[in-house]
Amino acid sequence: MASSTFSPKRFARDVLRNRSATAGVAIIGFMTLAMIFGPSILPYDPNDMDFMAILEVPSWTHPFGTDAVGRDVLARVLYGARISMLVTIVGVALGGAAGTLIGMTSGFVGTWVDPVVMRIVDLLMAFPIFVLALFLMLVLGFGIQPVIFAIALVYVPNFARLARNTTLSVKEEPYVQAARLMGQSNLRIMLREILPNIAAPMFVQLTVGFAFGIVIEAGLSFLGLGVQPPDPSLGVVMADGKDYFLAHPWVITLTGLTLMVIILGLNLLGDGLRDILDPRLRKRSMA
Amino acid sequence: MGFIWYLIIRLGGALVTIAIGAVFVFILMQLIPGDPAIAALGENATDENVAAFRRVHGLDQPLPVQFWIWLTGIVQGDFGTSITLAQGYPVWDLMVQRLPNTLFIAVYALLIAVVIAFFAGSIAALRQGKMSDTAATSASVLGISMPDFWLSYVLILVFSLGLGVLPAFGFTSPMVSFSGALVNGALPAFAIAAPMAGVFARILRAALLETKRRDYVTAARSFGFRDTFVYMHYIFRNALIPFVTVIGVQVRYLVGGTVIIERIFGIAGLGSMMVDGAFGRDYAVVQACMLAFLVFVLGVNLIVDIICAFLDPRRTH
Repeated sequence: MASSTFSPKRFARDVLRNRSATAGVAIIGFMTLAMIFGPSILPYDPNDMDFMAILEVPSWTHPFGTDAVGRDVLARVLYGARISMLVTIVGVALGGAAGTLIGMTSGFVGTWVDPVVMRIVDLLMAFPIFVLALFLMLVLGFGIQPVIFAIALVYVPNFARLARNTTLSVKEEPYVQAARLMGQSNLRIMLREILPNIAAPMFVQLTVGFAFGIVIEAGLSFLGLGVQPPDPSLGVVMADGKDYFLAHPWVITLTGLTLMVIILGLNLLGDGLRDILDPRLRKRSMA
Repeated sequence: MGFIWYLIIRLGGALVTIAIGAVFVFILMQLIPGDPAIAALGENATDENVAAFRRVHGLDQPLPVQFWIWLTGIVQGDFGTSITLAQGYPVWDLMVQRLPNTLFIAVYALLIAVVIAFFAGSIAALRQGKMSDTAATSASVLGISMPDFWLSYVLILVFSLGLGVLPAFGFTSPMVSFSGALVNGALPAFAIAAPMAGVFARILRAALLETKRRDYVTAARSFGFRDTFVYMHYIFRNALIPFVTVIGVQVRYLVGGTVIIERIFGIAGLGSMMVDGAFGRDYAVVQACMLAFLVFVLGVNLIVDIICAFLDPRRTH
């Protein structure tokens, strides 16, 4: 499938025909709207304390209740989800871009470069993913920017391996050979011929990467290594909630539920996109 | 003979990865901002004390020499001494105390996930397209989407606070009481298991569906074998290979889960040790935990390779 045949119209139709993708788009669409417009619709600022309304149970005035200093939990969750999503998207996208570039070059150049790069990738993929992120936080320091870089670095090997393997499979295709015979430069061949043809699996990997990336962000912030309070991220709000969880369980439960819905949406979208974009898998799942 | 060679090559590969991993961890540790001597002695340390500390811990030596001292120490089981977490206590002794707890929870979780996946995946594949398939498939996606640390609190809410059947916090080491560890470890193990079970069930379902339509299965059916016999001997056995392979891949995510879960449930394991070490800037502890986790993941993958070699002997050639 050459890239020039990609039509946004057909892609949209495929998405709507795929149950999983439609559900994912609906969930992520709803959550995105809530994240963008929610904080301005709600009459509360995520950092406004109200000492007359401490640890209130969920009600019409405070749908997710209030926390230990009377902050509206829903406002904090929506605002926090915004930060969590932003951190994750930037982190995974950075890691995806770097990983794709490294993997594509490694697969295309071959020679001694490829085995060396793949050894490093194998090594990084032998560390538990959250442990590696935790370790990187120690090197990079705590806070928002380090979380972004930690997520990016953790994802580089995943993308590099996928990009390298898919590059190997298209490298000997006639259109690449043709470009080579025409005397095009390696860089041009990689960007014009190979990248468009390995884009689909990378795109699917990106969606799946967002789903676990947001878990890494929330986990690191939950431990206190990531986004620093009072700025809310989903992990920060959950960490607040854990201190009084036994008596007032809704703060952590509802915040985590929001996180789960976002992850669910991303997973459904990823599943759907995989079916749509990867004809090889589509054949298999139809059988 | 083929199998022994296969094993030796795999083992050698794992050892090389561990060695490169040690270099990687050592180099990154050097990039951590701040002076380990100051971190250990505090901001008010005198210059003489700092110099003495550096001399004692070999920090005044060139980096390759430091690395060599560290590496030869590790080979002899000397991971240095803990500075802030357990002052002056050998890191190796800390690890020996905590490793059984982490291993227990990890294996417990893995077993729960495999059992759930076995039933969910089989039901989904055998009743493809029916209600039970939809239910099992949906439950899998839901399971995959649950952050394990959030699930921990939900489980505590339901089983400890609500039903009062399982303890919420505190953990008995399996070295002290195995049955106590089984009861106390049930919630943390399940929290780690749920997302994995989802992944495993999906893979098993896909693998079963793929095998179901193979020619040898049709042939076996035509011989008049009973359905359960065909399922166990022809379909399930061959679908096991991708299933077992995925366990090796997922271990990367599983062990990461223990880091937070151990802290939530108050389990004295390697994961909580690493987090405490990170907060206390106890570099020897963090370094040792990184290597321990690396060895764990590689070990599981080695076992997975061996199981796969048994299931499909062609792999060893």
